[in-house]
Amino acid sequence: MEIGGYWGKILRVDLSKRETSVEELSHSFIEKWVGGAGFGAYYLYKEVPAGVEWSDPENRLIWTSGPLAGSGVSGAGTFNVAAKGPMTNLAGCSQANGYFGAYLKFSGFDGIIFQGKAPHLVYLWIKAGKAEIRDARHLAGKDIWEVEDTLREELGAKERDVSIYGIGPAGENCVRYAAIVGDRGHLAAHNGLGAVMGSKNVKAVVAYGGKRNFTIKDPERLKEKNNAMFQHAKTFGPFYQWGTGGGFSALYGIGCLPVKNYTTDIFPEHEQMNGQYMRTHFQIRSMPCYQCRVAHVKEVTVTEGPYKGFVGEEPEYECLAAWGPQIGNTDLGAVVMLTKEADRLGMDCNEASWTIGWVMECYEKGIFSQKDLDGLDMSWGNVEAVKTMLNKIARREGIGDLLAEGVMRASQKIGGEAANRAIYSLKGCSPRSHDHRGGRWIELFDTCVTNTSTLESTWGGIHPQLVDLPLLADPFSHEEVSTINARFNGVRVFDDCLGTCRIAATDPKLQLECLNAVTGWELTLGDIFTIGCRVVNQLRMFNFRHGMKKEDEWPSKRYGSIPVDGPAKGKNIMEKWDWMLENYYTLLGWDPKTGEPLPETLKKLGLEELIKDL
Amino acid sequence: MNHVTVEIWLWLGKELGEDFKSLSEMRSLKEESVEEGTTIRQLLDSLARYYPPIAQNIFDPKVKEVYPHVVVNYNDQVISPYVVHEQVLRDGDKITVLPVYMGG
Repeated sequence: MEIGGYWGKILRVDLSKRETSVEELSHSFIEKWVGGAGFGAYYLYKEVPAGVEWSDPENRLIWTSGPLAGSGVSGAGTFNVAAKGPMTNLAGCSQANGYFGAYLKFSGFDGIIFQGKAPHLVYLWIKAGKAEIRDARHLAGKDIWEVEDTLREELGAKERDVSIYGIGPAGENCVRYAAIVGDRGHLAAHNGLGAVMGSKNVKAVVAYGGKRNFTIKDPERLKEKNNAMFQHAKTFGPFYQWGTGGGFSALYGIGCLPVKNYTTDIFPEHEQMNGQYMRTHFQIRSMPCYQCRVAHVKEVTVTEGPYKGFVGEEPEYECLAAWGPQIGNTDLGAVVMLTKEADRLGMDCNEASWTIGWVMECYEKGIFSQKDLDGLDMSWGNVEAVKTMLNKIARREGIGDLLAEGVMRASQKIGGEAANRAIYSLKGCSPRSHDHRGGRWIELFDTCVTNTSTLESTWGGIHPQLVDLPLLADPFSHEEVSTINARFNGVRVFDDCLGTCRIAATDPKLQLECLNAVTGWELTLGDIFTIGCRVVNQLRMFNFRHGMKKEDEWPSKRYGSIPVDGPAKGKNIMEKWDWMLENYYTLLGWDPKTGEPLPETLKKLGLEELIKDL
Repeated sequence: MNHVTVEIWLWLGKELGEDFKSLSEMRSLKEESVEEGTTIRQLLDSLARYYPPIAQNIFDPKVKEVYPHVVVNYNDQVISPYVVHEQVLRDGDKITVLPVYMGG
């Protein structure tokens, strides 16, 4: 019997041979891996053996949709990208919203696997079950906005006829934190998957929109549950009214805004930089993702300050923090400008601002001179110097070549005092733009132990009550933090299999109801955990095979340091780090000493075939 | 009697009425006098009985607990719910009530 929500087809693109082919997916495969990050984890493990490095042609770049993408569920334009990534040299899974996840399905495919390397820049064109690898040499050096404009004009396509994702100069130059960017400002930003795309000489992918052309098993049930999910999302947190920036000041209140590279947690200007201020002072235009009713994505026009008149996408929380307090900037208009600049160049704002903030602190302390920085005055808050530096990084010019390696590698190369000031996890994962030493220890822990290269268990906190688990009572309890990370693990990764945006699908139970309505399945809450943990364990096995060690699951010295002021002053997560790891490993069925999955855990998750690889 | 201030941030401070002074678009403040020995929990409980939005959004008077989406700072330091239960208020203390939210 047909499963609703799928085509059962993966497009394989062999760039070296300049060939495309279509592979059928079996029902049992779909039921086991669901889509998105699940498909990505399966193919990564199967096709990328140990010894293949992130930039090798034999690395895979896997773009996958999910069963809810394009189904009519609110905000279901999401897709997942998986590859061995350059930040960690381990697995990377990153998602972007917008339209592409839906348009990929409308084009007749559940996913695309890129392999090999094209001899020159190319782009992939897909429409109605057809695929073509096309010359993109004329797009070399263009930023992704220019790429979108050029390709739409060449194809005679209007704005929403096609969804286009690609790389900017950062991806072409293999900046380790290059992102895949598209649909006017959406990013799959984590673990440098844009650099993998650049290493394969793929500049962009174009997918065509259209009407939904795959089966929905129970449209009436879907309509009812989708409405209920929207009502939940509308009142769950600040997103509907204020966007992700609506929580900016709340994060300040618990010591979670990153201020000047963690040298302080005092930022009284937060009230002039939050979503509430932006939406009541700047001009706002709605730019919703595919069929999204929450519609938190906006375009803004700056109405005051030095950047008055500047038009850009409304910065999400991470960009507000990255280009505001982290670099000592207090002008919201400048945040809009830098957000657009980083997106245009195609790089992750998190890692870019950890790198820039580290440079600024080292400059303040006299570790770097202006001469060391190609003549740039990298004083806190000098946003024009930051803009210039971002461009140097994207093109690997001068000091930008070192900084393009990310803050972990750059700080290790400089060494000495500079090395102690950099914020990263030893595995190489960039923390999101928070000060996790504040009231979000759970996210600091998650960033260090993740197998996806970005958040795995948490998403800006945990709301365990949504899946009937006990609450996190004390955000500074070593025991609770490690325990709840383990107990909740699987839910968020399952999310990443579906093709929906978390901001539009805030209630996991209703999301599950929507999934069952689309597919015809009757999955339970327990199945969510099983499938999500299956994907996590598959990625973890991949990571061990590619050289990960337990010792890598630590924060850098600065990332794990004790706040010197602010609401979390004196709190020390590192006091019991080893105990937290052992507790977490034990609860997930992993060896408490090494962190490797135990054979019985793999068997329980249906991963028996991996036991031989332990 | 001890004099303490209660500051409520962002959407938790909606519709509290004129008893609360608006410090900015996102912060509302109320000064309270409490008897010796009053804990933070007891103060929030008494406020919840007088102000329905507090009972609805901040402190559940039925189970005598702050809601899971709420965090309390004591003198600008994040505290756990255990401290909310036990901490006795002193003259000049400041309680800040903030929303916790998923995402961002």
